[in-house]
Amino acid sequence: MTVSSTPIAVPLTLAERVAATVLTHPGVAGLHGGVFGSVATYLPGRRLTGVRIGEGDEPVELGVVLHIHRPIPEVVRALRREVSVMCGGAAVNITVADIAVPVALAPDLAAVEPAG
Amino acid sequence: MTTPATTTPTTATPTGTVSSPARLADDTAQGRTTIAASVVQKIAGIAAREISGVHSMGGGVSRAFGAIRERIPGGGTGAANIAGVQVEVGEKQAAVDLDIVVEYGASIVDLARAVRRNVITAVERMTGLEVIEVNIAVNDIHLPTADNGDEVQPVQPSRVE
Repeated sequence: MTVSSTPIAVPLTLAERVAATVLTHPGVAGLHGGVFGSVATYLPGRRLTGVRIGEGDEPVELGVVLHIHRPIPEVVRALRREVSVMCGGAAVNITVADIAVPVALAPDLAAVEPAG
Repeated sequence: MTTPATTTPTTATPTGTVSSPARLADDTAQGRTTIAASVVQKIAGIAAREISGVHSMGGGVSRAFGAIRERIPGGGTGAANIAGVQVEVGEKQAAVDLDIVVEYGASIVDLARAVRRNVITAVERMTGLEVIEVNIAVNDIHLPTADNGDEVQPVQPSRVE
């Protein structure tokens, strides 16, 4: 995932940077648009699902799909810390929308479609 | 219900127990954490299946209903798309309803107890939510000799034309 280096539209590049940071975390399987699909940022030419930087005092919204082998509160806490630092100490609302189940563990559960 | 000792590897939290509901409430100062129902559903479903003696999940109405819902596209996080597992998830607590089909030969009471214990442990450890109840409905029993447990009537050819 490339991070834009152009100085225009700082909130947009922040969203991309947040997305990149979140995806590098080992407990994260992917980004997700949240329960209603509303957690997203509109960038030129594409829609970045799963990250929404709030305006002003609004909290940052993050929608993620996590792996199953790590306790969720631990991963969430780490993500919140990292993203909050990137966004100047803003509050971060995280929605764990789904978990990625390996096929070997439960074939029917793993068959559910990924982020919508 | 005892808290497993190895559940909280992070040392930063003042509250050390995984079953303490205050864990998620602590986060409100820096943001809210929402766990979708399907997450708890999957974890509960896997935990229930782990117990040997559980043949499958679902049964009766919920099995048919679940089979239909699984095929609806976009029924991702919101819908109860996993047969045999219904959950209610709040900010700090969760309640689980399971429909299971058991294998013949298992003590159903012991099996239900083991399933309940495993589901509670798995959900509390993985999500940090307090599980307030796990209801288990044993809908069917799988007999090893016949594929379906119902009586199979041989199809009689019609005697008259």
